Amino acid sequence: MKKLATPAALLLAALTYFVPTLAGGAPVIYAACITIAILAVMSYGADLILSYLGEVSLGHTIFWAAGGYAASLLAVNAGWNGWQTAGAAIAVSIVLAGVLGLATLRTREFVFSLVTYAAAVVAMEVAFNWPFLGGSDGIVGVPPLQLTLFGVGVNGAGNVDLWPVAWGLLMLTLLFIQRFRRSRLGTSALMVQMNPDLAQALGVDARAVRFLVFVASAPISALAGWLYAYQRAYVGTDMFESYFLVLMLTAIVIVGRRLLLGPLIGTSLIIVQQTFFSIGGDGDKIVLGAVLAGILLLWPRGMIGLWDALVSRRSSRPRPSEPTRS
Amino acid sequence: MNLAQQIINGLVLGSGYALIAIGWTLLLGAARLVNFAHGQLYMLGAFVAWAAMDRLGVSYFVAVPIAVAVLGLLGVLLQVMMLRPVMQQNLTSLMIVTLGFGYVFQGGAARIFGGNPQTFVSPLQSAIIRFGEIWFTWQDVITLLGTLLLFAVLWLVLNRTRTGALVRSVAEDPKLAQLFGINASLVYIGVFVFECAAVALGAGLVAPRSPILASMGFDEVILTFVVVVLGGIGSVGGSLLAGFGLGMFTALFGALVSPAYTTAAAFLLLLAVLVMRPRGLAAR
Repeated sequence: MKKLATPAALLLAALTYFVPTLAGGAPVIYAACITIAILAVMSYGADLILSYLGEVSLGHTIFWAAGGYAASLLAVNAGWNGWQTAGAAIAVSIVLAGVLGLATLRTREFVFSLVTYAAAVVAMEVAFNWPFLGGSDGIVGVPPLQLTLFGVGVNGAGNVDLWPVAWGLLMLTLLFIQRFRRSRLGTSALMVQMNPDLAQALGVDARAVRFLVFVASAPISALAGWLYAYQRAYVGTDMFESYFLVLMLTAIVIVGRRLLLGPLIGTSLIIVQQTFFSIGGDGDKIVLGAVLAGILLLWPRGMIGLWDALVSRRSSRPRPSEPTRS
Repeated sequence: MNLAQQIINGLVLGSGYALIAIGWTLLLGAARLVNFAHGQLYMLGAFVAWAAMDRLGVSYFVAVPIAVAVLGLLGVLLQVMMLRPVMQQNLTSLMIVTLGFGYVFQGGAARIFGGNPQTFVSPLQSAIIRFGEIWFTWQDVITLLGTLLLFAVLWLVLNRTRTGALVRSVAEDPKLAQLFGINASLVYIGVFVFECAAVALGAGLVAPRSPILASMGFDEVILTFVVVVLGGIGSVGGSLLAGFGLGMFTALFGALVSPAYTTAAAFLLLLAVLVMRPRGLAAR
């Protein structure tokens, strides 16, 4: 059974490429699938912090916006192609995360959250007032994405053109997260979160681990922002809006933290609701916020926790309750 | 630029910051809880008072107490819902849950009160006092006096009464406090109700300065975070000082350097302080 798990997972992943076609291939379907892929990748950046460090980063909109702004600025003003702008998005986000990571190195819990939020407010105010970043108008007229290798690849701005890129980015992200979970850094991060004393006793440098995870998470959200800029052909200060923040957190907790596919499934549920079952912008806000608060209050471990509770009730076997962390 | 006028402006701004922050200060300091819906509670406070005036036709002086009472009741409801993570002191969950609540309030307020900016009029806002070139309003005077009074009362209750001792013992160790027969959940509810009621009072006094919007939540109170953290997380006197200090900084920075970057400058100040002193200025 176990031998078959990897090929089966790969096959399943490959099949997801055909989801838009199977769902009818209408433009709205393609647009929704790309949005899901982009926002899921964005959420995976914050997921690294929330699931593996146990901290709430309210600053990941900075990296998300940095990716979008880097792509737009360089594509519009310097005519860079997609590879170059992607490289720039990664580089800019790593530099920003390095600075913010150093600034927050000694902060924990709500102070960490407050400082990351404060940084996002500063970043938004700078983007809003600095003409170099387009000011309040943002940057308009982002050219079609040119992402070719030896003459083959993507050159376009339509949703059908962008889907292979969005799908590829999502698969790369999943692969990265999967490798991260098994890496020394990933396991150290979990140990620092669950039992800091043990981590210290084993010689794990908690600050170094926190810093590295924080820096590693930034390019993920930045690449999502990079593609978002091409999808909309525009970036603006709306990328800092709390919508994206709440969406990231909801996507992570809705299914359950520390699950590889959690943020992807969470994002899919949210975007499907907002695209096909929307009850108006304000109504959708109520839904999103209520789901976020409700999940954590009723089933703190997410829908997986609900599933476990149902299964254990049916088998009526007492299960050891999850130890709570303060 | 008139320096005396800017100092007055700084005092006025600062008393507003401190007043809006007082609930957060108690919540963080005395109960070690966080509430990221604080900004949306401020917004709700302003809108409830506005709606009471606009729809019920009551005067400003009745509308503000109505807002305080409504938000206090909302506080009971919220805290009862959040009792489990609160008793477990699960701050990570609480941060996210309150962010979710804030988002619900924002959407809900836009649904109920509409998405357009409204003017929440206080009769005291147009009652101007002049001394030569310097001027301020009766609203400013009331805000300043109300802030000082509320801080004094809070400090006295916390440090000089049995209620204050209960709150402090629950903050120290909720489980141990329960062993001594203290009803910790009741104390938490009390603290949370104070937070909601105080922010409604803050909204009642401060919000008439500018148009109110359902989406203003976080932006309007974001500077109170600076106050709370700079003041040394939970220190009542520290918050008051930090509030006035920040008010002065904002007024002078806005007048001398650049009004557009004032918030950014205040946050850079906060970042710089936190890098050097992660627990705030007044922390031991």
